[in-house]
Amino acid sequence: MYYRLIRNDMLKSKAITLITIIFVAAAAMLICLAAVLVVNLTGAIDTLMTQAKTPHFMQMHSGEIDTERLWSFTEHNSNVDQFQVLEFLNVDGARIVIDGKSLADSVQDNGFSTQSEKFDYLLDLDGNVINAADGEIYVPICYMKDGAAKIGDKVAICGKQFTVAGFLRDSQMNSLLASSKRFLISKNDYADIKGFGSTEYLIEFRLKDLSQLSAFENAYAATGLEANGPTITYPLFKTINAISDGLMIAVILLVSALVVAIAFICIRFTLLAKIEDDYRQIGVMKAIGLRTSDIKKIYLAKYIVTATVGCILGFALSFIFRGMLLENIRLYFGESGSSSLALLFGIIGVLLVFLAIIAFVSGVLRRFRKISAAEAIRFGTAQEKTAGAKHLRLSGNRLIDTNIFLGVRDVFARKRLYATMFAVLVIAAFIIIVPQNLYNTISSKSFITYMGIGNCDLRLDIQQTDNISQKAAEIAKTMESDKSVSKYVVLTTKTFNVKTEGGLEERIKIELGDHSVFPVKYYQGRAPAAKDDIALSAINADELGKNVGDDLTVVIDGKQKDLTVCGIYSDITNGGKTAKAVFNDNSADIMWCNICAELLDKSLVDSKVSQYADRFNFAKVSGIDEYISQTFGTTKDSVKKAADAAVAVALLITVLVTLLFMKMLVVKDRYSIAVIKAFGFTNQDIKAQYLARAVFILIVGIILGTLLANTLGETLAGIVISQLGVSSFNFAINPLATYLLCPLMMVFAVLIATIIGVSAVGQIKISQNIKE
Amino acid sequence: MKKIIIAENIVKFFGEGDEKLNVLDGVSVEINEGEFVAVMGPSGSGKTTLMFTLSGMDGIDSGKVIFDDRDLAAVGENELADLRRTKMGFVFQQPTMLKNLNILDNIILPSMRGNRKNAVEISQKAEELMKRTGIGELEEREITQVSGGQLQRAGICRALINNPEIIFGDEPTGALNSKSAQEIMDIFREINADGTTIMLVTHDAKVAAQTERVMFMRDGKIIREMRLAKFSGTDIDDRINRVTAKMQEIGI
Repeated sequence: MYYRLIRNDMLKSKAITLITIIFVAAAAMLICLAAVLVVNLTGAIDTLMTQAKTPHFMQMHSGEIDTERLWSFTEHNSNVDQFQVLEFLNVDGARIVIDGKSLADSVQDNGFSTQSEKFDYLLDLDGNVINAADGEIYVPICYMKDGAAKIGDKVAICGKQFTVAGFLRDSQMNSLLASSKRFLISKNDYADIKGFGSTEYLIEFRLKDLSQLSAFENAYAATGLEANGPTITYPLFKTINAISDGLMIAVILLVSALVVAIAFICIRFTLLAKIEDDYRQIGVMKAIGLRTSDIKKIYLAKYIVTATVGCILGFALSFIFRGMLLENIRLYFGESGSSSLALLFGIIGVLLVFLAIIAFVSGVLRRFRKISAAEAIRFGTAQEKTAGAKHLRLSGNRLIDTNIFLGVRDVFARKRLYATMFAVLVIAAFIIIVPQNLYNTISSKSFITYMGIGNCDLRLDIQQTDNISQKAAEIAKTMESDKSVSKYVVLTTKTFNVKTEGGLEERIKIELGDHSVFPVKYYQGRAPAAKDDIALSAINADELGKNVGDDLTVVIDGKQKDLTVCGIYSDITNGGKTAKAVFNDNSADIMWCNICAELLDKSLVDSKVSQYADRFNFAKVSGIDEYISQTFGTTKDSVKKAADAAVAVALLITVLVTLLFMKMLVVKDRYSIAVIKAFGFTNQDIKAQYLARAVFILIVGIILGTLLANTLGETLAGIVISQLGVSSFNFAINPLATYLLCPLMMVFAVLIATIIGVSAVGQIKISQNIKE
Repeated sequence: MKKIIIAENIVKFFGEGDEKLNVLDGVSVEINEGEFVAVMGPSGSGKTTLMFTLSGMDGIDSGKVIFDDRDLAAVGENELADLRRTKMGFVFQQPTMLKNLNILDNIILPSMRGNRKNAVEISQKAEELMKRTGIGELEEREITQVSGGQLQRAGICRALINNPEIIFGDEPTGALNSKSAQEIMDIFREINADGTTIMLVTHDAKVAAQTERVMFMRDGKIIREMRLAKFSGTDIDDRINRVTAKMQEIGI
């Protein structure tokens, strides 16, 4: 009996059953993927950390170190299994040149290490401990991922040549979120380049019993040992390693929650319509003494079949996408060795989706209990409550076309019914607009001033060469006489030591020159103008703990000088750690120099770039657009991709939900449709009424969605943007895209879906439907 | 006299294959302008289906229906809708009102299509009709706030709002008590006296007895007709007796 009932029911509503199955499959697939990813990620991280013997406790330290005191502490602490002090040579990114490109723009603190002897090994991609020969360099895996290096590339470090022999996994610093990256070289080579950077110490311990970690931490701190730098423990290493892919898993889970919600909406729609359809029958079944649970079974059966088909489909689909998503985990952490466990958790995830659907259907079916047999048999329908819209009288309407009026009025009269579709449209508008605005904002030309780049046309960079200041002067002279250059400025970057809160010294890069020519955006304060002014990038200000008006002590030519922080700006260049000042200095080494110029005729940019590049072959000449695309082109591209994907997903959801909703509505309203047909309204009239409802909900939805996008969305986007080092942020809206194109796309999607959804109006026969 | 409906040998089936049912089996009917007709018969005899086919709400499988000089088979969906709206009025057994609209809006609905500029005139006309049918005070009421008899009067007002040439009634008194039923019949008689043609489908001999011509149906065929004089409101018992006698005679 169940088989026939289910078959007939599904054949009658093919489209709706299919859409429901699609959503269930998508939900099952996503949950399954998330489960598989979690198992693989944790498994792979555990394997890596076990192979590499990651320290349980690590104290980073810069400055003097008293190794004997540390040894004595170790001997007196019974919990210490192993102890070592590693050196980490911090070298400025500008001095590391891989295959002709320097790492000056790298946001990482790049440095060098030798392989350790006891634990905290740097591993190759097969999980083996690497032994670097002289002249060989092993590069962190992240530079393989972004294509910055490949095996056989030449690497120059402060002039010394190396060859990339392979890539390494670093159980401590693998993650892009760990701000340091270790390159591995041989002991001899390390000794050669030691003078070119600053040495940091990694004081590392492995304990006999990891559960005693916090007791050990306290003991270390209480003894007053070396502690000038962050302390990182085993669980924190684990978290840092997990967080990037963890974020992806979180996004997948979020999306799957959305999809599950949509699947639930689909099911609720279909089920309620079906109950309404069968209202009298249900009453009869109750009247002849069937138990509510028996009646529920009949309806539940169909959803057991739908959910089973969807879940199996989703599980199968998860195999297709699994490899793609696991690629990153495999690259960074290697194999997890727990594929059968992953499969088990995947199946559990799918089962959870299945059970959630059955529980949900069961919950919706609880309303059977409320159906009174007598009422159902007598009236055949639930006595629907209609509220509101009393003031909207057809008799008082002379302005709006009757069909549109009836459509809009119905939305007011049955607000609760339309709330679901409204919510979906608001969310869809939000999902479309926010990423679009974000993309517009970061691709607008003025945005670069948010990022520490002045708004010029042409940029010449001089670095890794000698006599930088003379070469810069030579270019400046040429610019002075070049009539097509309206203004230019020479900015010189040098490193200086500054005094930190603790009285220690830290090196920062300060860009010297006239910062008023091509100003950047200061979110606090202003550009440096006087000799004792200094402006800090947001990250530097944060790390040094300085605000506008504070003093900062800088060591210039061996003498301490107090400068006043005059402004704070956002910066994404040079790892976000920069400063700007105008004082004169002839002492410190010039790290690099850049010359920015504005052209009278913007169309000349390309020809000027080649002209200057030919003439000054020691400088890197770029148009500002090119410079921007090099600096954060990948970010822009991925935001663009995400924005396009968001549009596609939101439109798909809009179409499917509208289609489903309209189909349901027509089934639900067939009595009213029959009545107005009987009284002389044509099929087109009725379709117009449904279109009016859809468009009305859509318009209100778009308005609310846009408002939310520009308030809540801007805040959310600000959080994302701050990851780039940009602190103050407002949407730069492209009105054509946001207020015309996006709404038009949605209107188009909704219109198409509604027209298809209500096409069944023509098949509703008056004679069969006019009796309630 | 002009014939408003001419139906020739109409045949209609429900269902398909083994379950195919011949609901109308060669029915021919003519209805004159201004006539007051009743169709009687047991459940399943095809009387409601006959009404649906004569009004163009349901198609036929063979035969011909001429309404107001037009062959309905040759008229498109939209024109059929126009015909129903402008030339026909319908009153059903259940009130068939839109639940979201109040009484007045339900009544003016058929008149408002493409005609919103005349909303005031249409509303005035509806109010007059409501007064005439005795529900003049109810225009602002929701349909759940009035009695079945009052709703049926509103239904008649709606049927009359576009000055139709004919009103079709499908058991219009079937859901009412006898007092309300008689009041509704009195209204129908008045409308008919003003010149509107009326065709009622009914079970009730008392309803049929107040019309001028009664058609008896069984198994999809009109098996007998009887003519009555125009009802003046006095000799109802005698007329009922004649109708029931005829029903007994033909065995329905």
